[in-house]
Amino acid sequence: MKGMKFSFLCKKKPQPTGKRIAIVGAGPAGLTAAGYLVCKGHDVDIYDKMPEPGGLMLFVIPEFRIPVERIRFGAKELEEEFEVTYYPRTKVMEGEREDEGDEFYERKIRLSELKEKYDAVLIATGIWNVRKIGIPGDDLEGILSPLELLFWIKGHKLGYVPEEKVPDLAGKKVGIIGAGLTAVDVAFECNRLGADVEIFYRRTIREAPAGAYEINILRNRGVKWFELVTPKSVIGENGRVKAIELLRTRLGEPDATGRRRPIPIPGSEFQVPVDYLVFAIGMVSTPPVNGTYLATDRRGRLVVDERHMTSVEGIFAAGDVANGPTKVGRAIKDGLYTAVSIDKWLRGEL
Amino acid sequence: MERKYLYVDYLTCIGCETCQTVCDFIHNGNPYIRIYVTENKQYVPINCKHCDDAPCIKVCPTHAIYRDEDGAVRIAENKCIGCLACLQVCPYGVPFYSLKVKAITKCDMCAERREEGLEPACAEMCPAEAIQYGPLEMVLELVNERRAKNIPEHQRELTEEELRKSISSGYKVF
Repeated sequence: MKGMKFSFLCKKKPQPTGKRIAIVGAGPAGLTAAGYLVCKGHDVDIYDKMPEPGGLMLFVIPEFRIPVERIRFGAKELEEEFEVTYYPRTKVMEGEREDEGDEFYERKIRLSELKEKYDAVLIATGIWNVRKIGIPGDDLEGILSPLELLFWIKGHKLGYVPEEKVPDLAGKKVGIIGAGLTAVDVAFECNRLGADVEIFYRRTIREAPAGAYEINILRNRGVKWFELVTPKSVIGENGRVKAIELLRTRLGEPDATGRRRPIPIPGSEFQVPVDYLVFAIGMVSTPPVNGTYLATDRRGRLVVDERHMTSVEGIFAAGDVANGPTKVGRAIKDGLYTAVSIDKWLRGEL
Repeated sequence: MERKYLYVDYLTCIGCETCQTVCDFIHNGNPYIRIYVTENKQYVPINCKHCDDAPCIKVCPTHAIYRDEDGAVRIAENKCIGCLACLQVCPYGVPFYSLKVKAITKCDMCAERREEGLEPACAEMCPAEAIQYGPLEMVLELVNERRAKNIPEHQRELTEEELRKSISSGYKVF
């Protein structure tokens, strides 16, 4: 198997320009930007809190979608043929915040230190936090975050997470709220681990972000699909999740996303017993700042201008940390165009 | 020279749009591989299949469409008169008229990159390894290896004849 060729624009490293760039985050946007920048002759160092590069592609997306070796070989090629230096287990942060995967970092560096040390900095830290739903009982034991769950399963496969961290789902009833690609991946993995999986979604299969194709594959594998239901509360017993209370919904007029808005039907409550519950309702950007130093919007994303530059001159941002959760290809696109901007800016053309 | 194939394996494609992105990037905003979304939200990248018995080559009145030594079906833009006959006969609706070059244009398996010893960008960057480029036997082996390893439900191997068929004609996406 060949690796993803992040440096697809050139065969070997050209004459060095003498410029040094730090990239924070070794996911698709960071690695692709690194590939472009080394092809322009710049020196690139990549910082990442995880033990090896690859980001969500390596640590979260299931193996049957993206082969691990494809990412590993690609990252290795950047290191061996283009002299990219990785600094794994290194969290870059200005301020304090806890995110998923934090247990892996051993060193901490301030973003402002990188700014001083390098000619340009690119932030591509992605989305390592999950959105909270905010209903009664959503903090009970047995409620898992999709990121955590997928990360434990894949991390264990890769040898970084001990077996006891991965919940024993065989024969257990797992409820999943949401119908995006994350929900689908969680359902696939739980089903593979022998769980009895049920997906609850507030609209119909026609509006599901993951699409009918993926959901029908799951249904063929025995995953149950409940549509037009929305969670009202989580019922617990002795501090542990026991059931989910749902409300039936009907579809109203289309909202800003163009999808018909789900309207809860009062008095339609019913309960479904579950052993585990996963709220896969979206992920949140995790910039290496907490409130100050760089401007963020109300959804926590880094604010960038048309040059892909943040509010601090010389610090750029690309991928999900600036755009919110998207597809791998869109993160790659953003990584490429941001790298073009960085190169132009370093040459004084921007 | 041995003929090369650019094969998109729809069973392993995850619809991530990376192929379209990198193609768009190297072709100045004109991607030659495009993602189409079906009604049930399946993301399907469609590009030129460089058909064995390419109808576009046959129908082109000025012989502007030809096959190069790697097997890519290409267009000599200076010979194209923009009659759109190729578009009419292409079963995939692949060729399109470029206002920039005032001629028909389409995937040429990254001809410029191949001249430099590089491979088509979509194949090099596909994270799922769903796009394979190379001689038939190599493509066949890689596709089957990828399917067997990662998609247990699709472990059935393709025969050479089936692969040829799905690359060239009688193509069935679903």
